[in-house]
Amino acid sequence: MNIDDFGMDTITLAGPLEAKLRAIRGAGFTQVMLNAGDIVGHPDGEDAAVRAVRESGLRVTGFQVLRDFEGLSGHLHAYKVDVAKAMLVMCRALGSTVLLACSSTSAHATGEPELLIRDLRKLALLAVPFGIRIAYEALSWGRHVNLPVQAWDIVRTADRANLGVCIDSYHVLAHRAAGGVGVDVDPRKVFLVQLSDFLWQETRSPEDRMETARHYRVFPGEGVHSAEVGTLVRALDDQGYRGDYSFEVFNDDYKQLPLPMVAARARRSVKWITGLVSRRSLPALRRARSA
Amino acid sequence: MATEVVPEPLNPLGVDGIEFIEYATSQPQAFGALLQQMGFAAVARHRSREVVLYRQGAMNVIVNSHGVMPASPALAAIALRVRDAGAAYHRSLDLGAWEIETHAAAMELNIPGIHGVGESLVYFVDRYRDFSIYDVDFVPLAATAAKPPALAGLHWFGVVQAILAGRTRDWVDFYESLFGFSVLPQGTHFGVLPNGTLLESPCHKFYLQLIEPPPSGPGDGRRDESLVRVGLGTRDVPAAVRALAERGIVFVDRGAVQPSDKGALTQVYLGSVTFELVVSHL
Repeated sequence: MNIDDFGMDTITLAGPLEAKLRAIRGAGFTQVMLNAGDIVGHPDGEDAAVRAVRESGLRVTGFQVLRDFEGLSGHLHAYKVDVAKAMLVMCRALGSTVLLACSSTSAHATGEPELLIRDLRKLALLAVPFGIRIAYEALSWGRHVNLPVQAWDIVRTADRANLGVCIDSYHVLAHRAAGGVGVDVDPRKVFLVQLSDFLWQETRSPEDRMETARHYRVFPGEGVHSAEVGTLVRALDDQGYRGDYSFEVFNDDYKQLPLPMVAARARRSVKWITGLVSRRSLPALRRARSA
Repeated sequence: MATEVVPEPLNPLGVDGIEFIEYATSQPQAFGALLQQMGFAAVARHRSREVVLYRQGAMNVIVNSHGVMPASPALAAIALRVRDAGAAYHRSLDLGAWEIETHAAAMELNIPGIHGVGESLVYFVDRYRDFSIYDVDFVPLAATAAKPPALAGLHWFGVVQAILAGRTRDWVDFYESLFGFSVLPQGTHFGVLPNGTLLESPCHKFYLQLIEPPPSGPGDGRRDESLVRVGLGTRDVPAAVRALAERGIVFVDRGAVQPSDKGALTQVYLGSVTFELVVSHL
């Protein structure tokens, strides 16, 4: 595990897309997780944004985020299919092979597993011709799906090659009372891992979880759940996950700090995690542990 | 609320074979000449577009050179015979297929269709028995018979699709869920190119072959996914090879793909086109 396995997320940084890409690359990262807002909000238009990404030399970890897709019916479903298609088109234009889809928070969405499965299969099929994989993530305040195990159950039952899960350490930690930090998922079906921590011990209500998630996340190693983040990464690594890790750090303070300073914190976080995991992964230590 | 789950039929669209294969090219004359060497005859011309229908036995080939087209002929569409084209189209969209704009449809025949691999399309045709889709918009060419016989019993055997590494399962999902194709057991192969994954149509009348790049292939990187070749079936490959060779078709005559009782592969024509012959039970 090294710096090439980690990427920053544009949502962490202030400023225009080009400045974010420069800062991320400047800190030594080779990949970036993009947000649709970076593209459609570019002052020179989407094509200019796509060009900037391609010219940055950064690999695109994934594209986010499709919200509230599953469980709707009638005109709401048709509307969301249109949104999903537009997201897929942008995702492909950026050269991203992963689209992040978060579990629905909509009061209009059903929780019937059969219908959630049907909709996610549809999303996966829409993505097949584009070569895009759908990473379905349990938001900790999702209406019906808010634990990783629930997202995994749906993905496993849907049984589509390009449909997998995204594990976000924040949501795992924020809702651990109900699920623990253990995530027992086929590592081949984990399409993305997002990492962050936060600065207080507990988030009791869905509102707490949402507020903290959107404003007060920090990089792994900077929060108060370092041990659990480490446990999660080690568990994924031990299970055989070899995909990308992206820092999904929404933080209001970071959005008013110089970009290179924030990127340097991200770089420091990589060092913290790789130190943790590579030490644990040494064969000698593994043998010692199992002895 | 508990709802009764009724399984779908194995052939949910009533797929009943290939109605036509469409090629797009800006070189219709050169490609037409090649098709004629392959035993096809031009039988009709579109009333208003640069589109010609070629036929051989039960095989229809549409050559579309209307508008901006690639110089090298490209496989642009597979038209599937189905029970109800409108129903097939709507079911496909419900499951997650991408609709094609009506004006993009090749022949302005209002044939419903969806996007397939790469730039290609999949059409649904339900008028193929007493009345055909060609009756309205095509003008027969006086000089040729409407139903030229097939050379050596040639018929559609299948279509070969090139895909990117690791994408076999994605495309299997696509063809299984949309059309009811099924994967043949590993090790089942026809012809002289024994690689890839074979899918059988739910009507048992043709096959699709998915081919990933070889693991150690040169520059695994950026080849595009596309339909690359049609396979023509015949009960007697050597007889077909002889008949086609007499008409000037050149087969690759060395290596694993040289003509045998099992199959044969033509050289590459016009920069991109090959035809595969396959010994066929169909």
